[in-house]
Amino acid sequence: MTTREMTGRVMLGLLMSLTATAPAAAWSYKEAAKPYAGQSITVLDEITPLQETMKTLVPDFVKETGIKVDYQLLNHFEVISKGQADMLSGRGAYDAVMVHSPQMGIVLQADVIRPIDDLLANKTLTNPELDLKDVIQPAWDSVAKFRGKTYGLLDWNYNVVYWARNDVLSHPDEKAAFKKRYNYDLAPAKTLQQMRDIAEFFTRKKGEKLGGETLESDFYGVVLEGIKGGTTFWTLWNAFIKNFGGDIFDRDGKPTIDRPENVAGVKLWAELWKFAPPGQAEYSLIDVPTVMGNGIAAQTLAWSDFVLGIDQPGKSKYAGKFVYAGSPANAKSPRTRSAETEPSIIVISKQSKRAEPTYLFLQWMVDKTTQKRFFETSKGAGVPIRESTWKQPELQQSRFAGLYEAMRDTLAHGRAKPKAPKIFEIMDVMSGIVQEIALGKKTAEQGLKEGQEKVMAICSKCTL
Amino acid sequence: MYLVSRRDGAGDEAGWFPYVLMAPALITLVVVALVPFLYTAYLSLHEMQYARVGNWAGFANYARLLTNARFWHSVGISAAFIAVAVPLEFGLGLLGALVLNQGVRCRSIIVPVLFVPSMMAPIVVAILWKIMLAGSWGLLSYNLLERFGILTGLSIFASPALALLALILIDVWQWTPFVMLALFAGLQSLPLMPYRAAAVDGATPLQTFRRLTLPLLAPLMAVIVLLRLIDAFKIFDTIFLLTAGGPGQATESLSLFTYKTVFDFWDLGTATATAVVIWVMFFLFSNAFYQVVKRKLRAF
Repeated sequence: MTTREMTGRVMLGLLMSLTATAPAAAWSYKEAAKPYAGQSITVLDEITPLQETMKTLVPDFVKETGIKVDYQLLNHFEVISKGQADMLSGRGAYDAVMVHSPQMGIVLQADVIRPIDDLLANKTLTNPELDLKDVIQPAWDSVAKFRGKTYGLLDWNYNVVYWARNDVLSHPDEKAAFKKRYNYDLAPAKTLQQMRDIAEFFTRKKGEKLGGETLESDFYGVVLEGIKGGTTFWTLWNAFIKNFGGDIFDRDGKPTIDRPENVAGVKLWAELWKFAPPGQAEYSLIDVPTVMGNGIAAQTLAWSDFVLGIDQPGKSKYAGKFVYAGSPANAKSPRTRSAETEPSIIVISKQSKRAEPTYLFLQWMVDKTTQKRFFETSKGAGVPIRESTWKQPELQQSRFAGLYEAMRDTLAHGRAKPKAPKIFEIMDVMSGIVQEIALGKKTAEQGLKEGQEKVMAICSKCTL
Repeated sequence: MYLVSRRDGAGDEAGWFPYVLMAPALITLVVVALVPFLYTAYLSLHEMQYARVGNWAGFANYARLLTNARFWHSVGISAAFIAVAVPLEFGLGLLGALVLNQGVRCRSIIVPVLFVPSMMAPIVVAILWKIMLAGSWGLLSYNLLERFGILTGLSIFASPALALLALILIDVWQWTPFVMLALFAGLQSLPLMPYRAAAVDGATPLQTFRRLTLPLLAPLMAVIVLLRLIDAFKIFDTIFLLTAGGPGQATESLSLFTYKTVFDFWDLGTATATAVVIWVMFFLFSNAFYQVVKRKLRAF
């Protein structure tokens, strides 16, 4: 090859690489938003510290694109009563509304949400570096995809982690006594059976010793959400029943409430109630972290975003003394491992006349740059939606590094709820029944048989 | 003045004037109450696809509602709630009002304090009583009841037997002072002459109470009882916040049932039928109450 030929090839290569990279480098939210600058969109999201942090970043999007964003935050119930109602009624006050995965069955059946596949494929609108392969799975696919269509980008990734008192679990006296009694080492539970043993071991009365100190009040081996409604049954379903190989629907969507695997899962869950505070049946998902923060229970399964609010100096005197792990497996069936997660998306209403600018905003929310800034702003407090976020220094160097490891483990085994339009009615029936089982009013067999009859009366094919 | 003229037959041209005066109130009433109710009744006769009106359904939504065991269960819970709470509130309120009316000391301090519970927002009441009765840490339930061996090892709000009683207790706590104050105001406004006459005739305090106080207060009592019945029937907030209708369905009132039917289950056909049934129940009850009070107590 002559020098001239070589120079020519190098030049050609340079030209090709420049041509190839030119569109990617040229893409910006500012350019993409030019046709929509000055338009206003209204987006409804749930209010938690995560969304409050996101809200502080929204002015950056407005400044860059010129699209005015009314990013409204309402509590969980109002998001459903206002946002979902707005879409179902066809009123169209909101361009986009946050939905939790159980709501997907309703909004899909009502055909009120817009698929975004055409927008994702639109090279003018979609950031070539959006990198959707980086989005955490199976969370995104299980919530947002249905019959070959995509209905949103993963916005929030709530998940339940195992949370325990490290100061008592690692105390030498307790470790020795536990080993003697159960014949294995005391450590954060990796299995539901270990969780049960730890619960039994640490349930103590006032005046007894705990970690070398005399208890001034009763101490409980475990605390779980137990209130009727809330996420009590979600957690029982995904963190217990499914770990036993059970499920509440079969592949065709027919209710299978009373199958033996479900009975086994419910029995273990109900057994844990023996080691829980007597008020557990009134504990909501907010009460559980409060009880842990008050230091009267050894371990729990709790929503990780609530943990972030409790394990803070000034919030709990046990801050820094907690340990975290992924939601436990079933020792007898580790392959069926399942965890409770609640991936959520912001969907574009079919009534929206501003789908493109709305899509730009939703894309911006999950963009790598925005997510990076989100965790920088929150000082490492959040729930990742991208795999790359786990490597971010704010998380790796955070004192919550252990919690993030736990979240990652849980998220690897959690899926969105099935798309069942009657799911809230089913949950309402079942949460009342399992509460009665836990309180000893019914056996697991009786309760689940009754549940099967009641759920069959609601729907015989429950999923879409 | 116009009415007087009309009676005299000399002012017919002004007969419309009272209606003009009443018009703003009547129009407001029609717009905010009657129109939504009529629309609800219209919806209840249609198939509802979530929040969209479907085909004419006749009375299918009503048939589904009236054969729903859960609906009747919630009617029973509401009825039990009213049957215990309202008589207790009225009895205790009347007793308190009579005591207050005796010129007790520090009345100027007691009366403002009595306003406090009924002025509290339901969320505040719920938090307050959760602190009082929460299992394993409640101020009353743990520190008093459990320490003295009463109600050990259970949670009041989680007990199918006690949860409804606790909610009734909370309602009694919140609304008895209101009844007391209303009746006290009524007692204060009673004319003195009949009492002086009774004293001259040698009537005993019990006779005075039965023959004078009760009949004179009857119209006010009727209004208070009616208000409390309506309010107790609508109980929602404290139940929603403290038990969410549980344990099981032990505290699921009719209001909570309706809320769930709308906002959890999105079954607007059943929900609108429920609203109409509740309206009819109230209409019949209010009418019956009015007739009884009018005839027996000569109130209104």
